[in-house]
Parts: sequence; C-alpha cells; structure tokens
Amino acid sequence: MRPTQEPFEFRATLTALDQGLDVLHHSVELLRQATGRTDADRDLMLFETALGEIGANVLTHGRPEGVQLPVEYQLHLDAGTVLASFVDPGPPVHDHLGRAMPDLASENGRGLALARSLLDELGYQREGEVNRWRLVKRL
Amino acid sequence: MVAPTGRLDVVGAPALKEAISELVKQGLPRVVIDLEGVSFVDSTGLGSVISALKQIKGSQGELRLAAPNQQVRVVLELTTLDRVFPYYATVEEALTGF
Repeated sequence: MRPTQEPFEFRATLTALDQGLDVLHHSVELLRQATGRTDADRDLMLFETALGEIGANVLTHGRPEGVQLPVEYQLHLDAGTVLASFVDPGPPVHDHLGRAMPDLASENGRGLALARSLLDELGYQREGEVNRWRLVKRL
Repeated sequence: MVAPTGRLDVVGAPALKEAISELVKQGLPRVVIDLEGVSFVDSTGLGSVISALKQIKGSQGELRLAAPNQQVRVVLELTTLDRVFPYYATVEEALTGF
C-alpha cells in the first residue's frame, strides 16, 4: 500500500541554472519518497520532464542580467494532483507560448511544446513585472 | 562509443556535443551513445543528440543510441525523434553489425 503523506509541499528560491535544476529534480524525488511512488510512476515521470523543460526556460530567460531577484519555486501535491509554480522577474514570454513542435532536424525549440503535451494544464500570466507559471498534472 | 552520465539537459548537453565533435575530428564517424548512465533527458539534451547526428552524417557515418531508460524513450517517442534515432536495448545490440 502506498504511504500517503499528502498534501506534500516544497518551496525554494532558485538563483542559478545548474543549482536550480538540481533543486527541481530533488523536489520531485522528495515527493516520490514522501508518497511511496517510484521512478516507474509514469505520470510523475512525465510531470518531471515538463518541470525540467519549463524550469530550464525560466532559469535561463527569467533572470535577466542586472536583475538580482531570484526565481520562486513551489511544488504541491494534494488529492492526487501535482502542481508546480514559478515566479520569475524575466521579460514577458507571450510570443513563445504557442510554439509548435519544430521539425525533426531542429536542434532546439521543443521545450514548451513538449511540456504542454505532458501536462493537464500549463498556465502562464504576466503580472506586473513578473511571469507566473503554473504546471498541473493529475497523477 | 560515448557514455554520458547523469542528466542530459541544458547543463549536461554541451559536454556530449564536444565529445562527439572530438570523435568526428579523429575520423571515427560510427558512434554509439551509451545512455545507460543517463537518468533524464530534456529538449536541449535531445538537441545535442540531433547535433551529433548531423556531424556524424556529415562524415558519412552512423549514430546509434543504446540502453535508454524509460524517460528517455518516452521523450524520444513524444517528440517523434524515435523515427530519426534507432535505439537499442543494450550496447551489445547496438554494436551488432555496426
């Protein structure tokens, strides 16, 4: 039987790309341990893949030069639904959101399309000077 | 053969690109990427594999992927890149007839 330490909650402040990605994957590992899930849990693996994509984008483009504010990250699991959120001080990204999967020879541009296909909801809002991201998947 | 380890993501991808460039420079255009040690791949990691394929094909070579875990296989399938990269369950299988 699966241990159910739900709701699960994790928060972190991310200040660098490599450190930030480590934290994201670590948070999913903590969620696995807390809820008795394994690496074989396909839905959580798909969620982690989407989290890695959006996280890499946010940590790359969401911390513009000269802006000292970090990225705020939160992971939450309750009633079988996992939700991650990011708040970053980067420029607006509306123009990139609808990007389709590029052709097979392309070396980049798959991240957002891939993340969208893996989640039940990929939310984005510009609020004042920050971007708010919301990633939701039912497990 | 190249055997990256850990996460093949935006942080880990440049090292793979560099390793493949080195092999191609050495005139070794038939390459197996052993993915057994790769725990996670993202779209940038995939981009580095596509870049490797272009370099290798440019040298009339061939690229095979071996031993991808479930996450890597799923990402290859979802992006339809499994049509471009034949992958093999083990390194031994990838080397057969290579």
